[in-house]
Amino acid sequence: MSAPEGRARSGPAARVGLGECLADIVELAALRGRALDLQGIAARRGLSLPAPGRIALTGDTLTLCVRPARWLLLSPAAAAGASVSPWQSACAGTAAALDLSSGLSALHLTGPDAREALARGCRLDLDPQAFPAGHAAATIMAQVAAILAAVPSGMLILTPASTARHLREWLAAAAQAFGLAPRADVTVSALSGELHS
Amino acid sequence: MPGPFRIAHGLLIDTASAVGFRFDGRQLQGVAGDTLASALLANGQRLVGRSFKYHRPRGIVTAGPEEPCALVDVIGSAGREPNQLATTLPLREGLRAESQNRWPSLAFDVRAINDLLGRFLPAGFYYKSFMAPGWAWERLYEPLIRRAAGLGRLAAIVGEHAAPAETIHDHADVLVVGAGVAGLAAVRRLSVRGLKVMLVEQDVALGGGSLLDARWTAWRESLSAELRDFPAVRILPGTAVLGAYGHGVFGALQILAPAEAARFGGLRERLRIVRAKRVIIATGALERLVAFPANDLPGVMLAGAALAYLRRYGVAAGSRPAFFLNNDEAYEAVFALADVGIKCAGVIDPRNDSLAAERARTRGVEVHGGTVVAGVYGRRGVRGVCLADPSGNPRGRLEADCLLISGGHTPAIALASQLGAPLEWQERIAAFTADLDAGSGCLAGAARGVFGLGAAARDGDTGACAIAADLGHGTDAALQALDFPEDAEVTPLKPLWEVAAPGKAFVDLQNDVTTADVRLACREGYEHLEHMKRFTTHGMATDQGRIGGLVGAAVLAQARGVPLSQVGQLKPRPFAQSIAFAALAGGEVREHFRPKRRLPLHDWHESAGAIFVPTGLWLRPLVYSRRPGWQPVLEEARAVRAGVGITDVSTLGKIDVQGPDAAKFLDFIYANTFSTLAVGRARYGIMLREDGMMFDDGTTSRLGPEHFLVTTTTAGGTAVLEHMEFHLQTVCRELDVLLSDVGDQWAQFAVAGPRAREVVAGVVTGLDLSNEAFPFMAVRAATIAGVAGRIFRISFSGELAYEVAVPAKHALTAWSALLQAGKPSGIRPYGLDALNTLRIEKGHVTSAELNGNTTADDLGLQRMLKKQGDFVGRALAQRAGLVAPGRLQLVGVRPVDRSRRRLRNGSQLLASATARGESLGYVTSSSPSVELEGWVGLALVSGGRQRLGQRLIGASPVHDETTQIEIVSPHMLDPENTRVRA
Repeated sequence: MSAPEGRARSGPAARVGLGECLADIVELAALRGRALDLQGIAARRGLSLPAPGRIALTGDTLTLCVRPARWLLLSPAAAAGASVSPWQSACAGTAAALDLSSGLSALHLTGPDAREALARGCRLDLDPQAFPAGHAAATIMAQVAAILAAVPSGMLILTPASTARHLREWLAAAAQAFGLAPRADVTVSALSGELHS
Repeated sequence: MPGPFRIAHGLLIDTASAVGFRFDGRQLQGVAGDTLASALLANGQRLVGRSFKYHRPRGIVTAGPEEPCALVDVIGSAGREPNQLATTLPLREGLRAESQNRWPSLAFDVRAINDLLGRFLPAGFYYKSFMAPGWAWERLYEPLIRRAAGLGRLAAIVGEHAAPAETIHDHADVLVVGAGVAGLAAVRRLSVRGLKVMLVEQDVALGGGSLLDARWTAWRESLSAELRDFPAVRILPGTAVLGAYGHGVFGALQILAPAEAARFGGLRERLRIVRAKRVIIATGALERLVAFPANDLPGVMLAGAALAYLRRYGVAAGSRPAFFLNNDEAYEAVFALADVGIKCAGVIDPRNDSLAAERARTRGVEVHGGTVVAGVYGRRGVRGVCLADPSGNPRGRLEADCLLISGGHTPAIALASQLGAPLEWQERIAAFTADLDAGSGCLAGAARGVFGLGAAARDGDTGACAIAADLGHGTDAALQALDFPEDAEVTPLKPLWEVAAPGKAFVDLQNDVTTADVRLACREGYEHLEHMKRFTTHGMATDQGRIGGLVGAAVLAQARGVPLSQVGQLKPRPFAQSIAFAALAGGEVREHFRPKRRLPLHDWHESAGAIFVPTGLWLRPLVYSRRPGWQPVLEEARAVRAGVGITDVSTLGKIDVQGPDAAKFLDFIYANTFSTLAVGRARYGIMLREDGMMFDDGTTSRLGPEHFLVTTTTAGGTAVLEHMEFHLQTVCRELDVLLSDVGDQWAQFAVAGPRAREVVAGVVTGLDLSNEAFPFMAVRAATIAGVAGRIFRISFSGELAYEVAVPAKHALTAWSALLQAGKPSGIRPYGLDALNTLRIEKGHVTSAELNGNTTADDLGLQRMLKKQGDFVGRALAQRAGLVAPGRLQLVGVRPVDRSRRRLRNGSQLLASATARGESLGYVTSSSPSVELEGWVGLALVSGGRQRLGQRLIGASPVHDETTQIEIVSPHMLDPENTRVRA
């Protein structure tokens, strides 16, 4: 009686896909005691800011929260600074709005064994029961900072741009035994579509 | 059936498929499913190694990971792996194993002379013997001890150790350690209650003690079938929990079965880090030895091990076994061997009578009640046993080829002890038990001192019910009880730790610790159990002395004249058994050893021929040439001094600081003032640690009334942000400030040199770069090659310079535009070496001077410390030692003979060539100069600022060099700072 661990496959059936998610990233950080005001500003701009550890979707913008009174907004890529400047004027005196489109890289990990591969370095419990689509968390993985957001097609992983290649290579190595397929880059609108449906 | 001692069918083996292997060069045969130990025993190979200190012949004592003696070297294609346990090592075709600690051969070992000299080599002898004379330690004693120490030989670190390993993080509601009947019953209950369960078992098969009792087969099989229907149960055989680290974190080592290893590319082992809400420790109990003379002779084996070899592998421990047992449970081995027709030489039992003895007698086995074993005879294996009555009077001999012993069973509570569970003495089983607080979990079955399979199964179920209820899974649908056989009634054991008789009686076989050593420790004052352990080494090394640990404690108790309950039991620490470093390293090896931070333009730099140098985690271009020597560096630096150069400074840490109290906060964090800085201006700032030493430096810009951008050194980025967050969240909690790491967001390039202005002007729109409109230390938002960015007029090189910042995604656009615009001026990229040359000439400090031991005053920055208001480090910077005269101060150094001599980093500065050992300071940085003749350097010199113009000797003994040097101002180039304002 033994139940071998993992469902590793070699051969053609790739069970992990790795690609990038193309998005502009804006961080909104509320000044002291101004989180509610910031939520009001966001609401007026048609965006709902989620609770800590959660993702929210409005239109084609994905919003997530992994720090108190701070939100990351992922929206379709636009010209440099175009995504952040309306927020900077709207939030003046209430919050800081920072362009992190270049500072963070977004990886998109998919496939039935994506979570198995992530378990090689991620300390979080990524069991769909514990971390279903719509959840987000910050952690350290492969010795670098990472923010994980569960989406229906898999996992969105945000990591500092300077270590993105390291993390990507590490993920590829971790996923090798499961059959790894490079995936076309996805847009944040495509991910939003998944969460809406 | 292969092997003369293979007399029956075993549960785990396939006698139809033979497996060939070599032991000490001898070709032998086992069968599929064997361990190396079972295959050796089947072949009658009893002598398997030599002991650690006395080089006594040793055999196989146990059938599990607690084995003290049967350690072998395994020779693989690329290396030799020492200290592999024969008792758990799966036999595979072509396996090559060698015995350890013998020379020239296992049968004849010259160092066995140690055994005869034993009385001169008591425990701790080396603490006393190898004291004097002092010179002998390095030349004589240490080499000798090193040769004698250790068991196996490590021939190569590569080879099998280089095989891939990995780490996996697991999560469960409940971790069940041990798949004996208690563990299995617990898992069944937890699964029915809907909990996510992880069951780990160190053995390759599940069942624990039930594998040794055929009456339990049906129970085990129907339970196993049931568990297959629960998807939330994960079952990992071959996985040993090596440590319990509190807060529900456990470390386990999984040895992959061959099929799975193949699927994971030859992966051999996995370190599993398990996080569980509760744990059920169902690790069973370990049979313990009895200390009597020559209890280490090959052929002396634990009775339970003999039972395991018979049931699991169909191997008989001998053809005429004698038994020495003090408990009824161990009689199972007597009955099992009798069942397969092995003639028993007799059972020696210190108890006058017992239920088990009666059953043995009815089966025609001779039982010597009220008798003990006073010794064993035979040279390299047991030939017979000497009996005695409890007071030591001889009672004759028994001829036997093996002696199967049991001194009782000790609950395996190592994991509970690691979690801090207190010990409780149980007279009933003569052993300690432990229990966990409900928030952690529980122990179950034999690990909790509940002996007997039926009782253990019930106990596992009960423990699981309580834990399930505690986790809010209180009820289940009626669970069909599974039938199992009732436990036989037993007579309690009679505690027996040692038989006092002449000769070496071992309590620790792996470390050659005898009862006499334990008594010596006590006489020497090492009365505490943990002190005794360290004096004698009892309970150390790969087996942690598990089968004799309590025996040693009992001998110590007797020597101290106190009950064993007062002495306790050795505290086991992780790891519970040996683990290869490769398994601990997991996947973080080679290219994944540590992360690499790459510049946004890494690929550009690479294609431009850059040699990269790791600085912290960053890879930075050192120089854009493969030519050796200083020439390429000086060419790059000269371009900056004479025309214009460009360098990538994106590695600098960048912290965005916003909020109404941003200025106030920076005034506190920095030793100088920032609240007075005008919007659109930058200022050089220094930070101190709380202890008053220099921490970091950089320029900070005011982008708006409540908005600053802090830049840090490359090395300091993360540390400075943490330092600032720490103070914001603890000391300055009243301040309303937001800190954000924007280091990776911005790519930043320094364009430096007399012609820098025309280059930058070529790419910037909407900004007047004239000296009047955009003076030194000005900052503006600007559009660079069509990209929204920022321009800073700051300089590290000492030349007219601008730093151009754009979002990193647009780095190539801006960089290419700058190179294009600089073409007419002969712009060239320069690397870290040229940057260093430029800043040394200019007297700017970097991490070589900001080395954690320097104060602001040491570096000539004392005037920057503000006089008004508090700041981090202010108070402790006033400590007498930090303002004392004679501290090492920053100066410039140049060789007196400018034409010939180079300077060396780390050179000690001496008053004269004969001033031995009286260093006045040392050279921190050095480089050939671009503008000045010869080499230039920076140094930290005692009272340095008073020594300007003095000549000292720079000595670099490792290079066997001395150079006469001159002390100068660190600002060797453009001391009036006119160039940066040009």
